Amino acid sequence: MTRLRSLLQSSEFVVFLGLLAVAAFFAANTPVFLTRFNLLNVLLQSSIQGIVAIGMTFVILTAGIDLSVGSVVALAGVIMALLLHAGVPVWAVLVLNLAFGAAVGAFHAFSITRIGMAPFIVTLATMAMARGLTMVLSDGKTIFNFPPSFEFFGAGQIGPISVAVILFLAYALLAELLLRGTVLGRNIYAVGSNPKAAALSGIYTNRVLYFVYIVSGVSCALAGLVLTGRLDSAMPTAAMGYELDAIAAVIIGGASLMGGKGTILGTIIGVLLIGVINNGMNLMNVPPFWQSFLKGAVIFLAVMIDSLKNRQREG
Amino acid sequence: MPLLETLGLTKTFPGVVALDQVSLSVHPGEVLGLVGENGAGKSTLIKILGGVYPPTAGEIRLEGERVAFQAPKEALDAGIAVVYQELSLIPHLSVAENVFINRLPRRGALVDWRRLHRMTGEVLREIGLEEVDPRTRVSELPIGVRQSVEIARALSYRARVLLLDEPTSSLTEPEIENLFAVIRRLKEQGIGVIYVSHHLEEIFAITDRVHVLRDGRTVAVMPTAETNEAAVVARMVGRDLDRLYARKTAEAGEVALETRGLGDAFLKDVSVRFRRGEVVGIYGLLGSGRTELLKAIIGARPPATGEVRLFGRRVRFRHPRDAARAGVVYSSEDRKGENLFFGVPVWKNATYQAIQVGRFVRHGIPQVPLERRAAARYADRLNLKAPSLDADVYYLSGGNQQKVCLAKALLTEPEVVLLDEPTRGIDVGAKLEIYQLMAELAAQGKAVVFVSSELPELVGNAHRVYTMARGRITAELVGDAITEENVLKYCLEVEEAETP
Repeated sequence: MTRLRSLLQSSEFVVFLGLLAVAAFFAANTPVFLTRFNLLNVLLQSSIQGIVAIGMTFVILTAGIDLSVGSVVALAGVIMALLLHAGVPVWAVLVLNLAFGAAVGAFHAFSITRIGMAPFIVTLATMAMARGLTMVLSDGKTIFNFPPSFEFFGAGQIGPISVAVILFLAYALLAELLLRGTVLGRNIYAVGSNPKAAALSGIYTNRVLYFVYIVSGVSCALAGLVLTGRLDSAMPTAAMGYELDAIAAVIIGGASLMGGKGTILGTIIGVLLIGVINNGMNLMNVPPFWQSFLKGAVIFLAVMIDSLKNRQREG
Repeated sequence: MPLLETLGLTKTFPGVVALDQVSLSVHPGEVLGLVGENGAGKSTLIKILGGVYPPTAGEIRLEGERVAFQAPKEALDAGIAVVYQELSLIPHLSVAENVFINRLPRRGALVDWRRLHRMTGEVLREIGLEEVDPRTRVSELPIGVRQSVEIARALSYRARVLLLDEPTSSLTEPEIENLFAVIRRLKEQGIGVIYVSHHLEEIFAITDRVHVLRDGRTVAVMPTAETNEAAVVARMVGRDLDRLYARKTAEAGEVALETRGLGDAFLKDVSVRFRRGEVVGIYGLLGSGRTELLKAIIGARPPATGEVRLFGRRVRFRHPRDAARAGVVYSSEDRKGENLFFGVPVWKNATYQAIQVGRFVRHGIPQVPLERRAAARYADRLNLKAPSLDADVYYLSGGNQQKVCLAKALLTEPEVVLLDEPTRGIDVGAKLEIYQLMAELAAQGKAVVFVSSELPELVGNAHRVYTMARGRITAELVGDAITEENVLKYCLEVEEAETP
């Protein structure tokens, strides 16, 4: 009984209802929305955003932020493209790509923990630097033509399901298990909730911060792999604005920018909500300028409802 | 006519009735003492009067007129000023800016600094803080002085009713005397004061009437002159306490932990020994280095010089984790800022530290059923009053939060327990339980160390006392030498000798 009530009162459930409502609206207004093809397509489109948002969830749980994600996704794509064209074997490219993502995250964590810079500023700087490097390395041009085994991660299918979707869901499951079930997961929440108490309780807070920023960097590398494979091209302008969609998804999913609160499940529902809205508006031929406005309005509404609910609980 | 009265005030939180039909009154020029155990509803009552929460039922009357506050600002404007137990000053602003925040005097569009500092100087003088420069940043002041600044700010609102919630929990004796002088002056001006404190000697020193709460209900209202401490305590706890302090029994064993010549920016050549089976008290005024000493021992601020020995072997703790793993655990006095995780259930708070040392963990995975069972066992042992183990610690009273802190430290199964002000701001019943717990731990062969700024509890519970001043150990007192006079003497002598 109390379990049911706490489920019904959870942020995830409220956002899930929102997702159902939005989906019902599109289903009623466009014939295509509810087809299997379209739903699989929404899932596929959401999987890249979703992988990035999972990394972002880890960072936001520690009261941090990672603004660099979009640029890092694009830079990862360009680096992989150049390596492949230079004749580096696919397996090595995959390894180097993940190492690159981890290095970006480690750089962020180093700047935050050792130098004492604010996460917002550090990642704002790398956002610009990574985007710049993307342009420099690609000379501003799109790079095409990769071996099929590389494109497997972005464009491959296992039965009717895309490899990208499987990758996304497996990653999400792993992340949720880690956050919910392990000491490390609990330490991540602790650092976000009260860093001083966490340190005095024996948590290596710096290590926790290294971990979350590295997870975010690796998530970007992974998303870059899927995106590049799916488009069969690495574009220097790829993944523009991913950071805002990812942050929005995490916050819609019930996480707090103050840290210590949020779940992967919530983030995924948030990602799907944004994906469904994007897809539905396309199907209904909403002009692009209005799409942006409407998406912003939905984000505002979702967070507003959650804030009002919290205020009620405290008052 | 009463200045302020409440009629049938009731407040419920999810799962708890915090206040149940409380009717209270305070008259002009009267000091009303509000006492009760932890969880009795004192803080809730104060917060309702201060406009933080609306009541669930009942009403508030100010000079006979019904009032309802939607926000703290409305209560302030009506003339009810509150000084809360937890400090609410903004550390990086100056004293003057803090006192007159929201009401900075202006000249044109700019702040009139000269007038601001003059006004602040006047307010500070009123409570005997003339030595504080209004331009000082709050973060540079010791906690005791910050508390006084907070009182100055409340007074600066020309309050008709002043609510003081545990105002002395971080004040020194002279500062308390100062505060009492201010309260007496306010009485003469016809201001009503509600004084919440766990220190009954303060209640008897300054109040005219005592209002006793238990479990959210009024159990007694009596003129202070017609009652005594024992009677008030009996009402608060609902039973008679024949002694307030646990019996001392020293059966000191081997030296568990020892420091030799510990030094850093704060500490000067500190050498102390803590033995198994012993309760050691550390006393010092604010800024004496007592907290810094404990933090240096556990590696939260590794010492620059000197060494720490655990059971004779030299150890270097670089992080509190190393100390906890070796069986040395520290519990911070700052429950909200450094100890507990608000928004997190009781059981998780209780086992946070234990899972860091590998208890209740298998292959990196915390075993929740084991954790919950252990937390339940400690909740029982410490007589924790919480709606359930799943309750957010935020909603617990100070004393119960302190019990969660103790459970959190003890669940690591330490050999050396370092408790920083374990009874700060909590009621007599909970204090007594904590004293008994310290005695039990010592009897089990653990080395127990507690920092205290309350002389009676120090004298009543410690087998041995170290006094500190300016980062140095100034005396070690044993047996009959542990008296309030001695303890104070060794702190103050050094202070005076070193003051230019």
